[in-house]
Amino acid sequence: MNWSQIGILYRRELRSALRERTIVVNGILIPIFMYPIMLWAMFTGLTFVQGINEGFVSRVAVQSPPPPAHAAVLDSLRARDDVEVSGAEGEDGDWLQLLADGELDAVVSFRSLPGDALPDNFSVDVHYDRAEERSRRAESRIRRIVSDYRTAWVTSEAESRSLTEADRTVFAVTGENVSTSEDIGQLLLGQMLSFFLVIMVALGCFVPSIDTTAGERERSTWETLMTVSASRTSIVTAKYLYVASLGIVAGLLNVAAMMVSMGAVVRPLLAGTDDAITFTIPWLAAPVMLAGAIALALFFSAAMMILAAFARSFKDGQAMITPVYWLVFIPILLGDQTDVNLSLGSALIPIGNVTMMIRDAIGGVFLWEWIAVTLLFTLSLVAVLLLLARQILKFEDFLLGAFDGSFWRFAKEKLFA
Amino acid sequence: MTDQPRPTVSVSDLRKTFYDESRGEVHAVDGLTFECFPGEVFGLLGANGAGKTTTLRMLSTVLKPTGGSASVMGHDIATEPEAVRKSLGFYSASTALYPRLTARETIDFFTRINGFPREAVDARVAELVERFGISEYENGRVDKLSSGMKQKVSIARTIAHDPPVLIFDEPTVGLDVMNALEMVKVVRELKAEGKTILYSSHIMSEVEKLCDRIGIVHRGRLLALGSLDDLRGATGEHYLEDVFLHYVKEAEGIAGEAEIGPMGELEEGVVTGRGTQAGEAGGAPHP
Repeated sequence: MNWSQIGILYRRELRSALRERTIVVNGILIPIFMYPIMLWAMFTGLTFVQGINEGFVSRVAVQSPPPPAHAAVLDSLRARDDVEVSGAEGEDGDWLQLLADGELDAVVSFRSLPGDALPDNFSVDVHYDRAEERSRRAESRIRRIVSDYRTAWVTSEAESRSLTEADRTVFAVTGENVSTSEDIGQLLLGQMLSFFLVIMVALGCFVPSIDTTAGERERSTWETLMTVSASRTSIVTAKYLYVASLGIVAGLLNVAAMMVSMGAVVRPLLAGTDDAITFTIPWLAAPVMLAGAIALALFFSAAMMILAAFARSFKDGQAMITPVYWLVFIPILLGDQTDVNLSLGSALIPIGNVTMMIRDAIGGVFLWEWIAVTLLFTLSLVAVLLLLARQILKFEDFLLGAFDGSFWRFAKEKLFA
Repeated sequence: MTDQPRPTVSVSDLRKTFYDESRGEVHAVDGLTFECFPGEVFGLLGANGAGKTTTLRMLSTVLKPTGGSASVMGHDIATEPEAVRKSLGFYSASTALYPRLTARETIDFFTRINGFPREAVDARVAELVERFGISEYENGRVDKLSSGMKQKVSIARTIAHDPPVLIFDEPTVGLDVMNALEMVKVVRELKAEGKTILYSSHIMSEVEKLCDRIGIVHRGRLLALGSLDDLRGATGEHYLEDVFLHYVKEAEGIAGEAEIGPMGELEEGVVTGRGTQAGEAGGAPHP
């Protein structure tokens, strides 16, 4: 293998790639701008929708009033700015029909419980439409109002009987969140970054792998390349390194852009709320992420190049690789299972293992033995794919584009015949 | 006794057999033997499918022979493919240029990748740009160039590393008359520089004009080999087209004036001469 020639071939590939709009858009612009913009749009949109929902005044009808001793609960309901009680209690009206028609958001019935040990006790039935956001919100508001009233009533009754809160509660359950805002930030980052890193590495390899194989055939430059004095190994190595490096660049650019946008977009949006989050990543996670991105890029490049090399045109190549691209999403979902850490079993699941490894590392969990297994296993798969590519390159009809069919047909008819 | 120059290309009993699903074993090249020398244009004349391109692809190490041997500048095509490719330049209608590189970048790339001394690359590129009149569009992307401009860049990239042996496989296919004539002119210049040129074509007039010796190839076999005068003398025919038909008829066992055709016998090949095929530099018949 001649590294000087590989360097010349690599630079030629890269120079061509940087002049191809699709590659620049998929490998550089999308990783940098698309997801941060998407994230910003998503949060802004959510906040906007939330604001609209909160601004809704809930239209509530009272079908039957509470017992007179608890008339105050109805006053509380009426006193709210965000609740509009339509119709007077006890009035006739087909309230449930109005609810079904969307004219009302909730219908409340205060129901007396005669014979109950507690005089004037009652229960509240709230009819609402779960399929409607503003109806769900109305139900939630009514529930809160009734709950607040109950707490106030119980407190007042207890005080009149000289019962302290401790007497009344007897025992209490309190929860205390021991995670810091940094922990929560790491959890979110771990899920999002691991997901997007894998997707972006795959996307970064996607177009270059087609362009350097099927594209080369389509442009009739394949035979030109076969006649230069570089060895086949040097040519294929340069192409492989070129595709893998664009995958790595796309993945890392995306991580950097996501980090910046999380800090610049998400944090200000959550500032001052109970959900305040600090986005930090342990320094040790950086080399783990880099190792994961490299291993994945080597894997995706090899797999995609093998498949695309059988295509005769860029379009064919896209059709051959797209199903593989979508398959990538299945193992990535493992990263969402935050209660499952990397283990021997999960370290042997391609792609999913790297996703979990990166997610754990961002969360500050470094299971070095499984990280090693993950990387070794992924690199073993890469080695298998490279051996397969080497076998395929021995067939002249493949080299000259005379074989008309996909990889799967080639494998059946030639490799394993 | 004069010293016989050493051959730059030696081909001995070269064979290539393919397996075709419908036809079974196909002997695309069936025992070719010939030699080429410096300063010589050696023509391979044959119909489409005769085995010319397969032979040239084996010589350029794109394909591996299934039998026989060949060497270029003393390098065996089977065991020293990189050294062979370094010694030759390959030009054909199917060897396109990288559309997203500029003309200068293209020449620079092929100069470097073929092992031209690194310190002399810039001077070599400048020389080729000057020689082929590329300077006006040297920084233009190849995909924006006209076909004539592309042809010049293609020739420049073929000879970029100054190889002693050049292969031109049907180089005028698809070219208009002016560009085809330009190609013929360049081949003559290269011959004058002492290059060995293997020139494959099915266009008789080109072969007549350019080639010092002609090998007539049919069904993978070399039917005849010699200068145009030798072939005329051996067949009693004047026009190369008639010489060619004479040998093919002989090989096919067709007597007298019987027509060869409808060329299906030549594996659907087409032989053009006397300007019979539109758009090709088939020009005037040989006087």
